[in-house]
Amino acid sequence: MKLHVDEKRCKGCNLCTLVCPYRIFRPGKRPNQKGVFVPELDRPERCPNTRLQALYGRTLCGMCQMICPDQAISWEEEKKGEKRKVAIEF
Amino acid sequence: MTFSDWLRVDRLPHIYCAGCGNGTVINCTLSAVDQMGWKKEETVFVSGIGCSSRAPGYIVTDSLHTTHGRALAFATGIKLANPSLNVVVFTGDGDLAAIGGNHFIHACRRNIDITVVCMNNMIYGMTGGQGSPTTPRMALSTTTPYGSVEPAFDLCELAIAAGANYVSRWTSYHVKELTRAILAGLRTPGLSFIEALVQCPTNYGRRNRYRQAIDQIEYFKEHGMLVEKARRLREEGKEIPPDTIILGELARRNRPAMGVKA
Repeated sequence: MKLHVDEKRCKGCNLCTLVCPYRIFRPGKRPNQKGVFVPELDRPERCPNTRLQALYGRTLCGMCQMICPDQAISWEEEKKGEKRKVAIEF
Repeated sequence: MTFSDWLRVDRLPHIYCAGCGNGTVINCTLSAVDQMGWKKEETVFVSGIGCSSRAPGYIVTDSLHTTHGRALAFATGIKLANPSLNVVVFTGDGDLAAIGGNHFIHACRRNIDITVVCMNNMIYGMTGGQGSPTTPRMALSTTTPYGSVEPAFDLCELAIAAGANYVSRWTSYHVKELTRAILAGLRTPGLSFIEALVQCPTNYGRRNRYRQAIDQIEYFKEHGMLVEKARRLREEGKEIPPDTIILGELARRNRPAMGVKA
């Protein structure tokens, strides 16, 4: 799984930066095509949901997805052959 | 099934401003409805007029976008005509407390088996930020430019007094708790009333020193107090600060209900 922010839906309210316990979301610095400052992802492989959702069979944490008023945050399955980055932090 | 299966994807992104809390409440409500395991054909979302009441337009089920303040009247009709339907009402503070006040009181009195989710943004958002019955004292709005001099309406106390079976209050910051409260409300027979305080950065926040959506969320976070703690403080005779938001499950009863599936 990987964390995905839908740039078509995001309106740049930065509520995700407030709730993420891992501080994965950062306020964006550059506007996208619509002029929205979409939040940047800081090492999104640290998100527990990307690593453990398949193992537990349920959404872990998921605070950013719930609080996002524009339903822009989701987790996507990797395509076949796509490289995965695995991070283990102590 | 997740809550995103209940959304009309072709309608998104929705019309709400950046940082509006209504989207969060839609997420929580749909998540709770999804956990109930209801079928899309058997669920109806009803709403009145206002920002909050645009929500059913983004949900795939059958929905009614009715006249101002009359969402509960329509929902009563739906539930009594076909008790097998599951009815959820989205409503706002101006819709529910101001023009729909009597409908609300009598819906609570009849204790119809519906769930009412009130997105309380403490202002009339859609029409340009006029003061609503739930605008807190000294808050600025277009119709109260020197600060509101009237005390605010406590919708949960009103619902308890009128006889609703389940009453709870959360804010749009407490997403997990709000989901759990809505789920409990959906499971409870009789009228369940869940008040969700939401931020309105465009019309409330800008006039009341909450520049960003995050600022008002932080305010909810800091001033929220669980109802158990508030009770304990009252028993100890300690002061509760006047701007505290009492959160949690405020009432759960078993009064006889109307329109329950036989």
